[in-house]
Amino acid sequence: MKKTFLFILLLSYCWHAKAQTYISQMSDDSSRIVALNEIIVNSIQKNPQHYLVRFFKANSAATLEDILSRLPEVSLIRRGSYGMEPSIRSFSGGQINVLVDGMRIHGACTDKMDPATIYIEPINLENLQVQTTASGFMSGSTIGGTVDMKMAEPDFLQNKKLTGIVSSGYQSAAKSFFESAKLNYSSNRWAFRASGTYRKSNNYRSGGGEEINFSQYEKLNYSLSAKFQQNNNTYIKADLLADDGWNIGYPALPMDVGLATARIASVSIHHSDFSKLIYKWQMKVYANKISHFMDDTKRPFVPIHMDMPGLSKTFGAFAEGEMKLNKKQRLSVRADGSSTYLSASMTMYQPGQLPMYMLTWPDNRKGQYGIAASWITEIDSTLKLQLTSRADIITYSLTSTAAKDQVSIFGYSSANRNDLLKNISTQLSKKITKKLKATGSISYSERMPTASELYGFYLFNNSDGFDYIGSPNLKKENSWQADASILYTKGRNRVQFNYFYSRLANYIMGKVDPTLSTMTIGANGVKSYINISKASISGFEASAFLKPTVDLDIVSTIRYTKGKDAEGNPLPFIAPFKNLTSLRYQPGIISIQLESETSLQQNKVSYLAGEDQTPAYFLLHTRLGYATSIRKSSVELQVGVENIFDKKYYEHLDWGNISRPGRNIYAQVKIGF
Amino acid sequence: MAVFPVRCIQAGMGMCQDVLIKNIQMKKIILSLAIVIAITFGLYSCSKDVIQEPDPTEGLIKLTEGYVPGAAVKMELYSKEGTINSGFSKFYIALYDSVTGNRVDDAAIQLMPMMDMGMMQHSAPYENPASSKADNHLFPCSVVFIMPSTAGSWTVKVNVKNLLNNKEGALTIPLTVTEPVKSKQKSFTATHNGGKYFISLIDPVAPKVGINDIEIAVYKKVSMMSWPADSSLSVTLTPEMPTMGHGSPNNVNPVHIGKGHYKGKVNFTMTGYWKLNLDFMEGTAVADSTQFFDIEF
Ligand SMILES: [Cu+2]
Ligand SMILES: [Cu+2]
Repeated sequence: MKKTFLFILLLSYCWHAKAQTYISQMSDDSSRIVALNEIIVNSIQKNPQHYLVRFFKANSAATLEDILSRLPEVSLIRRGSYGMEPSIRSFSGGQINVLVDGMRIHGACTDKMDPATIYIEPINLENLQVQTTASGFMSGSTIGGTVDMKMAEPDFLQNKKLTGIVSSGYQSAAKSFFESAKLNYSSNRWAFRASGTYRKSNNYRSGGGEEINFSQYEKLNYSLSAKFQQNNNTYIKADLLADDGWNIGYPALPMDVGLATARIASVSIHHSDFSKLIYKWQMKVYANKISHFMDDTKRPFVPIHMDMPGLSKTFGAFAEGEMKLNKKQRLSVRADGSSTYLSASMTMYQPGQLPMYMLTWPDNRKGQYGIAASWITEIDSTLKLQLTSRADIITYSLTSTAAKDQVSIFGYSSANRNDLLKNISTQLSKKITKKLKATGSISYSERMPTASELYGFYLFNNSDGFDYIGSPNLKKENSWQADASILYTKGRNRVQFNYFYSRLANYIMGKVDPTLSTMTIGANGVKSYINISKASISGFEASAFLKPTVDLDIVSTIRYTKGKDAEGNPLPFIAPFKNLTSLRYQPGIISIQLESETSLQQNKVSYLAGEDQTPAYFLLHTRLGYATSIRKSSVELQVGVENIFDKKYYEHLDWGNISRPGRNIYAQVKIGF
Repeated sequence: MAVFPVRCIQAGMGMCQDVLIKNIQMKKIILSLAIVIAITFGLYSCSKDVIQEPDPTEGLIKLTEGYVPGAAVKMELYSKEGTINSGFSKFYIALYDSVTGNRVDDAAIQLMPMMDMGMMQHSAPYENPASSKADNHLFPCSVVFIMPSTAGSWTVKVNVKNLLNNKEGALTIPLTVTEPVKSKQKSFTATHNGGKYFISLIDPVAPKVGINDIEIAVYKKVSMMSWPADSSLSVTLTPEMPTMGHGSPNNVNPVHIGKGHYKGKVNFTMTGYWKLNLDFMEGTAVADSTQFFDIEF
């Protein structure tokens, strides 16, 4: 534990040291050094976020979702214990980008069972970036922001050729276990990394002891990457990531997943030379294929059995670079393009009849080509200005006759699209005193409707019980956002407060169409996607990192968001006020952590979207860590109890008000050599 | 497409926009080229048609043939399916001079279907060829077999007046009519006037998921021998998938287009078993609201 934490500290130290060395390479003019130092350090505005990610990653039993849900900007939409969908400041789905190492991966499930976050095991996670407002659209037009999961790279090791980690863990609530291993091999100019994780989980028990049926899952995730150091400044990297999940239950949905597979591949070249104008750049080409087979054969009382397969194939490329224009100005640019093919269908079987078949995602292809630039300039030693803009050309087309025939049912003669998306933001940050920094930004951004919103064909939403139909004529959704933050730093303590306000226009949502008859048996009706004139989402986040003594860390975050449509009705899927507080005491090789989770009740609910009120809850978790080394290997033990009081609860973003796990005792061992 | 951004980067950031525009222009040029090529090839194949005439009966199946005594012609009877089902059946008649074997494209053809049920005989609705001039060497005509051959025996008497030599004669053809799995022929006694109506489903022949043409024909039985087309009713179409209990949107009720034929649009949102419910009204009076056709695909 301590070792991990030390390691993390070391990492952050290295980062700092690295920045310093780059700067001294650059020039001997001291003022210039300072300037660049400022720029580099300040450009990492996700600094508090990094700290959070590191803090929660230190608990190596944490899954990616555990880490994500602890970032104040992120909430998770839950349909089961697997595949929770991230939401940034209450923006989700097509409103945000979820990237893996800058790559676009489109889920193959029409019911959003497979957000890209499921492909990254914590063992493969190098770091996690959540970018909002001002810089959120740098890697893709978006109104809500971007989650980018950076994958771990092979390491060049100085004195050892081969290193590895083996870890194993058990959780009592779902009688689940995982086995995970990582190997790293490096020679002079080559480095290789291989990792694998196997997870098996049974139905979990909720607080009070109720078993939640169809919450089981099983998965295997493996990755391979190779790195070739061409010279001091340049390396080439190839990554392969595969993920197979099967028998995955979704208690909040009428169907489960029989099999879901993902194959993700990329080749990239990275360059950094701090003596050059363009001091850092990378280029990447990538491809991925996701397939998804939903299954209802294990469910009782299914009126008609059905198969729902889906397929998503994406290939793309991007290049990004950073350059220093002069001692006070820096420019980052990015160009990217990708093409995604999507197709999903449904076949129902009624004995004695021909199968009932339709396309739920009529075969379509989306093309996306964008360029972005961000320019930072230092007006004076305390004032900094950042301008960011991005333009995207998005094309959508239906690729088969069957798809066109189906979309024509609703009277659309042409469903193909060509759109130009524009995003622009400006951010000003001012150092008021040595300890106090204020940042304000205004941005305008646009997002493209998703394939489901454009072409979806009777997609059943179990949250409100409606079948959804796409509208190929939807307008782009857009948003004006303002963001203000204050950061107070004193020694090792830092407190940050953020307020944001988003004014959305052409907000895309489903509206009941009483003229249409439902497809899904038992559905409440049919909704078509429409643009509503306006909506707003606003809220705040605050985080505090306190270190009263050397061996004590206190981390606390709060978040609150509020959403309204044009008529003033609350928007759906808005999480209520929530506070997370962690206390970590680390006197020696042992660490003790106490964590509380407090959520207020949500009574601003969208009855139109079939929501109801969600009660408040309070949870307490405790974690114990012990780290030592036996001969040459490091051994790390972690045990803990989550939801100590066995509270029966659910969050507002959980579909179907299905209770979350009750008291969970976990144990985990990690051995490194 | 993925290659493009790489090219874009090689060209330099500033030129990206230009390259994007160029790419679009490129697409336009390729499209125009494709159109030009398509037109050229189209013209080419047209000019070829003139020289080498395709067989007009291509895609049709010959049901029977025979000499029409008195008219000095050999008659061949074709249909698309090769078998005859109860309901609306379209035929194509080809005539040849019995001596020279040359096509006879000018003839007045009249049909008279007849079913012999032992105790009694009755006719059925039919449509003579619309013109005495053959359409692509064929005379299209139709007979509505209101029941299958299991109840009696069907014959169609074809009276031919050869307009090339003004000779006239008739040939009676026996035909076997089978009942299809999903019936395409229904009848009802109207509640508002007690009239006996016969309705046939003509289209969709090959239903698909999406918009389909629907065509029905309505006939009224006046006597055993008189079954004229009827245009007095209005039709309301309601498709339904009974297994799932849903319908489909944006259907267009069939309206009369002539000769008792009604045409509209039907949407199928998925494959499988569908019921096409049809309600018939005369003005505001309900004629019948129990009729439906089954379609499964
Ligand atoms: Cu799914
Ligand atoms: Cu259906």
